Amino acid sequence: MAGNRVAVVGVGQTRYAAVRDDVSLPGLLREAVFRALADAHMTMDDIDAIVVGKAPDFFEGMMMPESYLAEALGAVGKPLFRVHTAGSVGGSTALVAATHVQSGVHDRVLTIGWQQQSVSEAMWALSFPIPFQQQLVAGAGGYFAPFIREYIRRSDAPDHIGILVALKDRLNALKNPYAHLHEPDITFESIEESFMLWEPIRYSETCPGSDGAIALVLASEGAAEASAASSGVPPAWIHGTAMRSEPATASGRDQVNPVAGIECAADVYAQAGITDPRRQVDVVEMYVPFSWYEPMWLENLGFAPEGEGWKLTADGATEMTGDLPVNCSGGVLSTNPIGASGMIRFGEAALQVRGQAGDHQVDGARVAVGHAYGGAAQFYAMWVVGADKP
Amino acid sequence: MNVATESSGGGEGLLEAPLIIEYAFNRTTGPVIGAFVTGLRERRVLGIRSADGRVVCPPVEYDPQTGAPLEEMVEVGTAGTVTSWSWVSQVRDGQPLQTPHALALIQLDGADTSMLHVIDADGPEAVSTGARVRIRWAEEPTGAITDIACFELDGGAS
Repeated sequence: MAGNRVAVVGVGQTRYAAVRDDVSLPGLLREAVFRALADAHMTMDDIDAIVVGKAPDFFEGMMMPESYLAEALGAVGKPLFRVHTAGSVGGSTALVAATHVQSGVHDRVLTIGWQQQSVSEAMWALSFPIPFQQQLVAGAGGYFAPFIREYIRRSDAPDHIGILVALKDRLNALKNPYAHLHEPDITFESIEESFMLWEPIRYSETCPGSDGAIALVLASEGAAEASAASSGVPPAWIHGTAMRSEPATASGRDQVNPVAGIECAADVYAQAGITDPRRQVDVVEMYVPFSWYEPMWLENLGFAPEGEGWKLTADGATEMTGDLPVNCSGGVLSTNPIGASGMIRFGEAALQVRGQAGDHQVDGARVAVGHAYGGAAQFYAMWVVGADKP
Repeated sequence: MNVATESSGGGEGLLEAPLIIEYAFNRTTGPVIGAFVTGLRERRVLGIRSADGRVVCPPVEYDPQTGAPLEEMVEVGTAGTVTSWSWVSQVRDGQPLQTPHALALIQLDGADTSMLHVIDADGPEAVSTGARVRIRWAEEPTGAITDIACFELDGGAS
């Protein structure tokens, strides 16, 4: 990986819920920020720069919220940068924050992703008629369902794979106190019997709409070691970072297995020295808002040959007890504040290699992948974090 | 998306129902803005004391300089002084008043900062920086900034 070493030394998350009307927007962000600072044994004064990201302004009806939030985020007199790459924004934002340190310009950078889905309806914000653009009028699930059907046709995957993913992620969420959905009574049958929203996606195979925020503190090598010495918690060293995007309407584009995702994964593995991801990666947090995207991304990210990702799910390899645990936190299927969801994947990957994931910790995790996608499956962001220095 | 309907008596025995389709946003106000808009419903205006002792109105949840949480709500006056203004001579739909009016920064008595609001005045010659204005309350307050219908000039405006 190019540039100076950088590590995650603080992770802070809000309680996620369908509605967080007990706090203002700045109050919500500060809930995550101060938990991240406490984790890093730092105060706001220690922070050199702030990088924030969220999904489209239209989701909350607030233009350039970073300006309004500057004072609450302790950004007075400091660089404040905003990132926007649709659903992948949480991941992209963390990567931009990392470059602030890799470049050698800053030592301690605070990065925040958030969403208040309760203040509007993101589903229909995605369907707004914009002149000269295709009108979706379908919501995200309706948009992605045909590509999932095509995946099933190509791979000959059995019908129940999506149910297995949803059941695993919702059961994992029971081990994560921050997760939005805690459904202790969920079963294979209850998912199977839930309403078919966009065939083959059932209601219980769909992400919720959540309010919440996550903050990370990224630090240079010296600052990371000082933080770890103070907090007693090891840093998560960043071994690779990559972003790729492709146009939504490019002709010949394969939306089942997008080239941008394949190249993003190849780039980040090359930086991290990973040649056999299935064997070398201990735990994965990938962006799975609809159940079937687990097998689809397992293939897109090189964890399984094309057409065989569903077999990892079917065999239990992606369960917490499997050899490639995926979304031990419960994933996007259990918590989805869109602008935060990518950074939650990145932050959960960091928690795993720091040994801080609590009841959903994978024992001995040393290398973890965080993954986010956004837009019409066209924006990708990934990082690899490790317990060892790169 | 919200779809609001309102039934109304139709002419000649026909039922009519206006259909308004809107894309609505909510806001979570938190403890400080929540107290401010609740105060407006009671026809009181609240500011907040910042770390350097100034009274900020409308109030902010976090200190403008230090970012520290602020808690000491301070009631300010319902009259104040114009610190800057601009005349709106051509009124369009959706503006706060449907007659020509001033957009103005108004420092309420007891506050150290100014708030943006509207002055209902006969013409631009009636408005000036330094002019004294007072709140004209909405007839039915709802707990929103529009509970201040507008400001009007004191009789002795310069």
